[in-house]
Order: sequence, then C-alpha cells, then structure tokens
Amino acid sequence: MKKPLSSIVRTIIIFAMLCITLTGCYDSREIDDMAYIVAIGLDTGKTNKLMMTLQLVVPPKIKGGDGGGGGDAEEGSQIITLEAPTIYSGLNMANNFISRQINLSHTKVLVFSEEFARNGIADLVIALPKGREFRPTVNILVAKGTAVDYIKSVKPELEGNPAKYYELNNISHLHTGFTADTMFHNFYIQSKSLSIQPVATLAGVSKYKSPEDLSLADSTYKDKGRPAPLEGDFKAGSLPKSGSVQSEIMGLAVFDRGKMVGELDGEQTMGYLMVRGKFNKAYVTMPDPIEKERFVILNIRQARKPNKNIKMVNDKPVIDIRIMLEGDITVIQSGINYESPEKMSILERGYEEFIKKGVSDFLVMTSKDFQSDICGLGSGMKKKFLTWDQWKDFKWLSRYKEATFNVSVDVKIRRPGLTIRSSPITSTEGEIYAR
Amino acid sequence: MSSKIIFGKWEGTVLLINLICTQIILGFPRVMTEMAGTAAWITIIYVSVIMLVAFWLISKLYSRFEGMDIIDISQIAGGGILRVITGLVMTAYIMYIISIVLREFAEDMKVIILPESPISFVTLFFVAGMIVGAYLGLEAIVRLGAIFIPLITIGFLFITIGVSPYYDMANLFPVLGAGPEKIFGEGFFRISIFSAASILFFIAPYIRTNRNFKIVGYASILISSCLFLWSVLSYIMVFPYTVSIENFLPIYQMARLINYGRFFQRVESVFVFIWAATALLYLSGAFYFIIHIFRKTFKLEYEKPLIAPFAILIFNISLLPPNLATAIQLEEEYFRKYIWIVTIVFPIIVLSIANISQKRKKGERKGEKAVE
Amino acid sequence: MEGYKKIIKKLLFFNEPKKMERFVLKETSSKENRTEDSAENNAEKDKQYRARRRKEPGGIRKIDRGTDESSKKEKEIQKEDENKRKDSEVSVYLSHNLTSMKRLYNIPMNGDVVIREFDIILKDRAVGAFIIFFDGMTDRKVINNNILQPLMMLSSLEIKKAEEDIAEYIKKQILPHNQMKEFTSYRKIMDEVNFGGCAIFVDGIAKAFTGDVKGWEHRGVERPNTELVIRGPQEGFTETIRTNTALIRKRLKDEDLICQNFEIGERSNTPCSMMYIKDIANESLVEEVAKRLKSLKVDYLSDSGELEQFIEDSSFLPAPQIIATERPDRVATALTEGRVAVIMHGSPFVLIMPITAEDMVKSPEDNYVRFPYGNLFRLIRYFGIALSLLLPGLYIAITNYHQEMIPTDLLFSIEAAREMVPFPSVIEILIMEIAFELIREAGIRIPGPIGPTLGIIGALILGQAAVAANIVSPVLIIIVAVTGIGSFAAPNFSLAFSFRILRFAFIIIGAMAGFLGITTGLFIYGMWLVSAKSFGVPFLVPFGPKTANAFTDSILRAPIWKQERRPDYLNPKDDRRQAPISRGWMDNGSKGEDEDEQ
Repeated sequence: MKKPLSSIVRTIIIFAMLCITLTGCYDSREIDDMAYIVAIGLDTGKTNKLMMTLQLVVPPKIKGGDGGGGGDAEEGSQIITLEAPTIYSGLNMANNFISRQINLSHTKVLVFSEEFARNGIADLVIALPKGREFRPTVNILVAKGTAVDYIKSVKPELEGNPAKYYELNNISHLHTGFTADTMFHNFYIQSKSLSIQPVATLAGVSKYKSPEDLSLADSTYKDKGRPAPLEGDFKAGSLPKSGSVQSEIMGLAVFDRGKMVGELDGEQTMGYLMVRGKFNKAYVTMPDPIEKERFVILNIRQARKPNKNIKMVNDKPVIDIRIMLEGDITVIQSGINYESPEKMSILERGYEEFIKKGVSDFLVMTSKDFQSDICGLGSGMKKKFLTWDQWKDFKWLSRYKEATFNVSVDVKIRRPGLTIRSSPITSTEGEIYAR
Repeated sequence: MSSKIIFGKWEGTVLLINLICTQIILGFPRVMTEMAGTAAWITIIYVSVIMLVAFWLISKLYSRFEGMDIIDISQIAGGGILRVITGLVMTAYIMYIISIVLREFAEDMKVIILPESPISFVTLFFVAGMIVGAYLGLEAIVRLGAIFIPLITIGFLFITIGVSPYYDMANLFPVLGAGPEKIFGEGFFRISIFSAASILFFIAPYIRTNRNFKIVGYASILISSCLFLWSVLSYIMVFPYTVSIENFLPIYQMARLINYGRFFQRVESVFVFIWAATALLYLSGAFYFIIHIFRKTFKLEYEKPLIAPFAILIFNISLLPPNLATAIQLEEEYFRKYIWIVTIVFPIIVLSIANISQKRKKGERKGEKAVE
Repeated sequence: MEGYKKIIKKLLFFNEPKKMERFVLKETSSKENRTEDSAENNAEKDKQYRARRRKEPGGIRKIDRGTDESSKKEKEIQKEDENKRKDSEVSVYLSHNLTSMKRLYNIPMNGDVVIREFDIILKDRAVGAFIIFFDGMTDRKVINNNILQPLMMLSSLEIKKAEEDIAEYIKKQILPHNQMKEFTSYRKIMDEVNFGGCAIFVDGIAKAFTGDVKGWEHRGVERPNTELVIRGPQEGFTETIRTNTALIRKRLKDEDLICQNFEIGERSNTPCSMMYIKDIANESLVEEVAKRLKSLKVDYLSDSGELEQFIEDSSFLPAPQIIATERPDRVATALTEGRVAVIMHGSPFVLIMPITAEDMVKSPEDNYVRFPYGNLFRLIRYFGIALSLLLPGLYIAITNYHQEMIPTDLLFSIEAAREMVPFPSVIEILIMEIAFELIREAGIRIPGPIGPTLGIIGALILGQAAVAANIVSPVLIIIVAVTGIGSFAAPNFSLAFSFRILRFAFIIIGAMAGFLGITTGLFIYGMWLVSAKSFGVPFLVPFGPKTANAFTDSILRAPIWKQERRPDYLNPKDDRRQAPISRGWMDNGSKGEDEDEQ
C-alpha cells in the first residue's frame, strides 16, 4: 500500500521539528559547572594596571555535614590574585586556570584599595554597568591598605561561608550608624550627578594582633578635642580590638571627580546619615551634662526626615538643616534622675548640642577640606530652576566650597527603659549615686 | 468566521492596552527622557490630551459607519482603489513594526537571560507562539489576553512600586527639563506612541455598536496613558536624568534593583514571565491582524494559508538589521516620529472622504424623494 | 527388556516428529470482500453495517452459520413462514415459535438458555405454553411464584369474568407480576429476554408475554473508591443502571427529572440513560447530547470511559471535557445547575457534561464544609495542581539558566549536593520522574494490602538508595515527591493524568530556554485550552469570555447564601436557584412569625 504524499511530508516535518529540540540548551549551565565569585578586590598592579583578587566559594568543604566533622571555615573559600589590564580581561585569564566557568551573579562586594581609589576609579565605574551579571546591588568598599589583605582577612566564624558574612555586613548600618548603604547603583548615580557626590564604605584589617598591642594612635578623638575616644572616633582598621575576626568596616571614603579625597570616621558617618535622612538607629554615647566624667547612652533613631533649606546669599550658598531625632534612654551612669520630666530637658539639650557640634564639624569638613557635596544638599537648589540647562550652568558642585551651614537638632526622649529612676547604692560611708 | 466573533468591551480594551503598552517594556521610558529630560511626564500628558481630542474627532466621523472596519469604509469612500491602498498601507505599517519589535524582544531576551543562543533560536520561540495564536484565531487571543493582561499589569506595577526605597523626588526637578520647545514641539511627534490604537478601527465589526466603540477607545487611551505616565515617573525617580538615558532596558534595570532582605533579591528573572507573555500576546494579536487585513483587502476567502508565508516573511525581515542599534534607531527615530501620519491622519482623511460621499449620496436620495 | 529397548531407541535415534495441526485463525468469507478505504467504500460499508443492524424493523441478523442435518426440517418450515412474513413475528403455532426460538438462541449450543414447556389449564382445556429465559440473569423465585405457579396451578380457578380472549385473560388476571408486556415481534422479545426477562409463548395466541424478572448477582452500594470526602455522603454508584438512577432520584424528588433511555452498541445493546431536569437544562444541550448518543455505530461498549471518548468534542485536548464521577450527590448537584448526566449500565462512573476548567478543580467537599475551610481547601488545591504541572520545569529552568535567582546559601547547598552526580540536571529529573511513574503504575497492580505500602516504601527506599549511590541529588527527590503529592491533590483523575504528560513537555521546554520556554509553553497551552469547547461551552469561562455573575463560585467560593444564580454559561432556562434572601430567619421576624403566633 502506498502512503499518500501528505503523510510522508508530515512525518518529515515532524522529524525536522524534533531536531530543533536537540539544538537547544545553548545557555543551559549546570549549577556545579560554575564558580561563584563572592568578592572582587582591585589594587594598583605592579606589572599591569590592575591587580585583581577573586574570592571563590568552595561548596563541599563548607557543607562538612556527614563525615569529616565540621568544615574548616578557613578552607571554605579560595582566594586568587592576578594582574590584568581591566576587570573582564582578568576574568578571562582566571577562566583559564579555574576549571569552572566564572559567574559573577552572586558577587557581594567590590573592594578598592585606598591607593587605587585615590588615583581615580572613573574608568572602572563606567565599564561595569554593561555586564548583566554584575549587579547594581553590589556593595563598594575602600580598603585601608590593600584589597588583597582585606579579602584574605575575611574568615567568618559565625557563618559558614563568606557570602553570608558580606551580606550581613552590608546591612549592618541599619543598627550601628557607622557605615552607610553604598551600593553600586547609588555610587554610580551619584558619580554622574550634578547635585551629589559618591561615598564608599571604609574597610580594613585590624592592626592589633593581641590585647597588649592596643593603642589609640589612629583615633580621631584628639582632633575633636575630646579627652577620651567615644566609640565613633575610629576608622576601619584602627578599632582597638583583637581577636580571630580581623576584618572590620567603619567610616566612609569621600569621592570627588572619581577620586578619593578624604575619609570620615564613625561619628561623622552618623552625621552624614542624619543629614541625608537615611539614619536608622544607633547607640550614641555622650559625656553626662552634669557629671562630666560619666557617660549617658541613648538609643537614637530618626523621627522624621530632616528639613533642608538652601538659599543663595551674596552668591554663596547658605544652608539651614533641621534634624529631628528621638530616643530611648539606655544607660545613665551617674544615677541622676534624667528620666523625670524636669531633668529630661537637660539631657535633651545636652544631646542636641553634642550632635549639632558633630554634624556642623562634619559639614564644614566636607565643604572646606573635601569640597565634595556628599549629602546632596544641591537638590534643594535644583528645584529653583526651570530647565536642565539652567541648572547645569549653575555649576553647584563648584560652589559648594563656599557654603555655610546652620544646623539645628531636635532630640526628644521618649522612653526611659525599664527603670524610671535610680535609687542610690548604699555603702558604709553613705550613699552614692544619690541625687 | 468573522461574523461569529464577538467580544465585549473588556476584551477589546484589554487587547488595545496590550498593543499600545508593549513599548513600555522595550525602550519607551528612555526615549522619553532622552527627548524631554526630567519633564518627560509632561510630554505624556500633553500627548494624551491631543490623542483624546483626535479620538473624539474620529469617533464623530465614525458614527455613520457603525460596525464596519476601515477597509469597508475606504471601499465606500473611494472604491476598490482606495480600499487596496488603505489595506496595503496598514499591512505594511503593522509588518514593519512587528518585525522590529520581534527583533527587539529577541535581543532583549538574549541580553537578559540567553546570551549565547543564536538570535534565530530565540526568535523562533516567539514566532511559534505567534503562529499558534494566529492559527487559533482572534477569539482565543483576546480571551487569553483578558485573563493574562490584568496579571501582567499587576506584575508591572509590582516592579515599579517595589523599587520605592530608591525613589528620590528631587530627580523630577528641574520641572521643565529640556525646555518647552522640546517638550511641546518635538513632543507633538510623540503622539505616535498611540499608533497602535488604529487597530481599534479593525475590531469595530467585532465590537458591534458605536457606543461600545467609543467606550473601548476612550478607556484604552486613558488607561494606556496612565500606564505610560506612571512608568516614566517611576523611572525618572529612580534613575536621574543623565543616567536614565543610558539604560537599554529601563524596566529591567528597575527590576534588578529590587532588594528586600537577604531572600528576596535578584528576582528579575520572574519578570521574564511578564515580558515574554506581553510579547507573545502582542505578536500574535498583531500578526492576526496582518493576515486579517490582507484577506479583507483582497477579498480572499481563507485566512489560514496566509499564515505560513507571512510568518516566514516577518522572521526574515526581523533578522535584517545588522545590529541592535540599527534596529532601535529604526524604531525610535523613523517610526515613532512620523507614523502618526499613517495611523491617525490617514484614517481621518479616509473617514472624511467617506462621510462626504455618504452625505452626497443621502443628499441625492433626499433630492430624489423630494422630486417624487 | 522390551521397555528398555524402547527407551534407548527413543534417546539415541532420530524420532520423526508427530504430525500435529496447529491452530491457525482462518479468514472468514466476509474478509475476502474487504475493499480499499475510500469515500464511496465508506458509504457502502455504512450501508452494509446498517443493514445488519437489528434496529431496523424486522431486522434479524442473517449470518451464515453453515448448515447441519437437523436443521433442514426447520429450514423448510422457515421458508414457509418466510413467504408470509419475514419470520419475525410470533406465530400462532406453538411449535413454530419453539423451533424459531431454538434456532435464534442456538440451543443446544447455548447452554444457559432454559426453555420450560408447560400447560396452562383453563376452564375447559389445557393450552400448551413454554417459557424461555436465561439462567443466572433471572430471579428464580419470581419465575416460580409469580409466573409458573399462577399459570400452572391457579389458572383453573373460577374465572371471574366471561373472557373469550385468552390473551387478555392471561395477562390481566392470571399473571400477577408487576411488569408484563406483550409483543408480536421476535426482535423485541429477544431484547427483553437478553436483558434478564422471560418470554411466555402460549399456543394459539399470536403474541408473547414478557416479564421483567431481573435477578442477577451484583455489587451492593458501597463507598466510592476514587472520590473520598470526609464530610459528605458515602454512597457510590454500582454497575446496575436502575440502582444508579434510583440513587439519583432519591435525592432529587422532582417530577421534572427526566430519565431518557437509549441503547448503545449493536451487539452489547447496553442500556444508557440520560438524566436532566426538564425546566432547568437547556433544550439544545439536551438535544445535542441525545443526538450524539443515538448516532454511535459500534458493536460493543464496555465502560463509560469508552462512551466518554466517543461523545467528547476533542480527543486530543489535554484536558477532559466530561467529568466521570462515582458520587450520586455530585451528579445531583450538577443536574440542579443545569447539566446533563449520562449513566451507562455496567459502569459505576456516571458522565456529566458540559464542564469547564473550573469544575475540574472543585471537589464536592468545598460545598459541604463551612466557608473559610472550603476556600482554604481550594487555595491549597490550586497550589498543589500548579506545582504538579510546573515545579520540575521551573526547577530546571532556574538551576540551568537563572542561577542568580537562588539565594546564595541555598545555591551552595544545591551545588554541594550535585557535586557527585554524574548526570546533567535534565537527565536526573527525567530519571526520577520515570521511576516515579513506574512505581505508580506498578503499585496499582500489586495485590492485596501490600500494594499501597509497597509503593510508598519502594519510592522511599529507591530514592534513598539513589541518593546514596550519587545518582540523583537529594533536592531532586524532594521536588519529585512534592510534584507527586501535588498531582494527588487534583480532584479530577483525568486532569491529574493530563498534567502528568504535560509535565514532561514543560521539563523539556524549560531545559531548552529557561523561563522564556516555560512562558511560551504556558502560552500555547493556554491558547489551546481557551479555544476548546465542551458541548458548546467555552472551556475557560468565566475568564475566557467574561460572563456576568460568574465569580461566586469560580476561584473562591462565596458563602452559600450568596450563590443565587446558576452558572450563566450553561444558559439554563431558570436562572435563579435561591431567593435573594435565602435565609428567611435573617429577615427580621416578619410574616413568618406573625403567622405562627396567630
């Protein structure tokens, strides 16, 4: 029996179409065929423009579950350093000796060394957004020292793998106030903006190997005229601590024209957050207004976004900022009953003065020393123009150095914690802490 | 078959919204900010108002021709020649835009998720969906659209609202952006973004009554302009002016930023569903109309044999531009600036001619009656 | 000695093979006439087929059975009668009837037909008669007591009226049986006897009486096997058609509930019933179903599954267009909505039509439990059904194309798990799915109580062993298990099946192009469903064509007092099934109370 032509043709067509399924899967990649890079570090290279450090995660040793008790966290990641002209050429080279294909979609941090940042990172910044694997939520860090050292020092104790460590670190600014959210997206937008300049988080490796080595050599408390440092008077790498966790982040690096021009310590970072309106909450320590040797600690958070007013007086910008905060009393070392409504205003005034001084000094520093408007105070100016070209011709960024600031802070204390007053402690000589 | 298809106002509106608003996920917000800076949203309001006025004019002219599509009207207006001209013009217009959009969708998919597949492989998926849609008929497309498009819109709103932590109202200033000449002068040409509304003329026979026609038209133009406005607003608030003109895929870049905690990040691949669904619905709808218009123009009897040749033709045309930049340029500079002449002015001309000839005919008839 | 010689001969020498005829199925004469498949031939065959149909008046199958000696005499008598009529009517002579019956029923070859000859004693004479019935199909007691006994023993009682007409007398006075009919045509008599009746031929009367004495062995009403609910009636249909119609009728005591009878199948003559409520169901729907049922030209129908495949709209659609259910309460609910039910004798599954996509994900229990719980069940069920279709495909798409979506920690644990596995993900998942399907299929046939247990244990052990042998990764076991569980959440058996097939398609298409492939697959599947119809009702209503008032029971269920209208897409005659305020007690003590007080 002869099959009619149509059914032969039909069969041929079906087979042809089935062949299409064989050609598929161009992009299909198995999970275990890829190497996931968790951190990238960039330094100035000795032999080439760039020295790249890549931190890879090695899964089987992390798991350590059944058999071979507990994976050694040290071997949970692999660190590779190589020199190349640009980032992607470096990745290309790395692909040659790493057996798996490099995948950047889980990169959490991008670390520049301080030297590299001071020389200018403009060309890198422009190059990065084109790749689809490199995500805009990557955090930008500037390492005091070299990026290699910082990445090598990341050996998390609490987490199984460095990725989680980085992720949690990136959001620590929400409860410490000593760093800020420096995602690549923000960095990039701020680099190209006419009204704000970018910042990056400072990272560093702890200098002190053991408790005997601790010193205050790098603290900024002396510049501020304080007798002793408060917890915010440090930058990354100089925190007086020692222990197994060597990596630390604290403070910000200030950029202008793609180059790093200065650093902020922890307290100034808090001022930055407050002025930008991104302050979440933090513990702020202050010397007691009445008994200067003792301290008071308040858990402060932002009540409302700050009010900013900007006007031009004699061609110089005059900026009024009103910061509104509220807080809960955490510690009163002197036992003075600040919890009562009469004494509370003393504490509030004290804090307002304290914070006002910190913020004003910070703003003056950005204006005079760094000449970089990192708080974005120019956006208030933007509203006064009608067209873009007018705004562009105004050249706000070059006028920032002549700005003067009037800062006022408003602190309201809401809750006194669990105790509403402190009773005196008795002793043979009478009572102490009795006020 | 055409006489059996009826659909209601909801389905008609939804079809038009899909056809008009697909541009949002391509390059529309970027194009708008390129042209007008931070005042792109003003341009949109301006253009929508003009479109509504134009539509009012069209519906008035349409009132005599209830339930007829523009091919029939052009037949009345100028006989066979005008009908063929209208049909060919409309077919050419839809074919041009569908090939370019197909190319753009395939390139988008390549950039987003499939960087190494050859472009023909990716295009094949869309073409397969297109053919299935045209084969199963307008009713199926419209019904599926009525189910999916609300979901797609919700997904889109989710993306734009999900990036609200990144909003910065200061990005909307200076208010007048690039200046009034650009906003209103060059902005006038941007009425082309509503060019897909001309499909409304072709679904008139399915919507039946004039009242439905008007409701569908106004509703779809209003809702589309709201979606346009919102997309541009949220885009400018997230990406300030100088950065916003750089992004190839504005909505995708916004989706990349969504970051809620450690778990819910990097989920822009979920939005591939929205992209691909919009693309498939748009392509199958437009493709069906090509075939339908062609058939009506030349008064052919069967539609289904036309599917294969047109599909191959569109596939090949979509591969013509040598690179993506040319394709985008073809779409944005030439097409979006001047196509309003084809889709809005041309039908108005045809309608006016038809109206005049109708009046004359009626006048003659009346004259005859009076004589008798 | 002789014996040993024989044995040695047998062992050592060549033995000629014995000649044995092996059985070969020879072609019958009708096959030689088979011609090519073409339009005219089809029409010809149709005509021939129809000519064989016994439904034609006087149509008795005339197939050559070959001749044998004893039937020659009968042939002569047969020719005689043939001259007069077509040998299809009862003759006056008992002997004729007897020989006809013997021939038609192939007695003595046919062993379970019983012919009992007896005499009816009337006032003044004895009339010969015989009764013919199938042993095993009939109730012996009823035949003895209600038919044979009165005819044989009590017929000589005094005749109350002066009856000349014996036939009338016999039927009206002597046969105290509740269903008696009289026929003249052999065809109809044979139909009755075939289905468990008995036929009584009386000498001198050109009619035969048939009585319904059905009494075969059958299963009693038990729990339904497939659709179990916790809250709700626990009766299920059986294989007897009258029992089934009775189960429905005792729920809907409505005189407008019509039960129309059909007989389907040339040889099996299976009785089917179509039930509907006359003043609710749409007339054209009823006509269409009746038309389809009547137009079937088949020999045998074994089960309502085959009937379903014969009358459904599209055999290739990957979703059923008719629901088969074992529960009478579900059928009753469907009938009150305006649908039509078809019951077939010999099958405990009743078919309901037309249905839409939303009916396939509803279970009767949603209606019987309270509003919050019913909706919770529904949501879980939707989730399970969606998982059973898409989960493996999504897993493949995400792990092969969209690795950035996975949270970093989960990514590393999946990677660590997959480290030792030699296969690519697609092959892994296909292996596991096929293994799962094998276990399911085999588990149906393992006998006894071991069956289900063995299935589960087998799956667990198989999975565990496969993980230990590093053939699959543990994540995959979870995925396949969750998919399997999700597929059991689908209340409709047929839908779960179709998803089992489609799941493979989605795995392959997900492996080809990630999310783009899955979206295209869903698009094509959606288009296919949207353009499908089930007995004239579009499949995805109320989402497809948007109908009015349709959302009270589609995705989530409104409280029961809100469901006032019947589904609009069925176009019922009577739209409303509840009064606007169906709960009279909510009506703030109005007329009802007053009347009581009076």
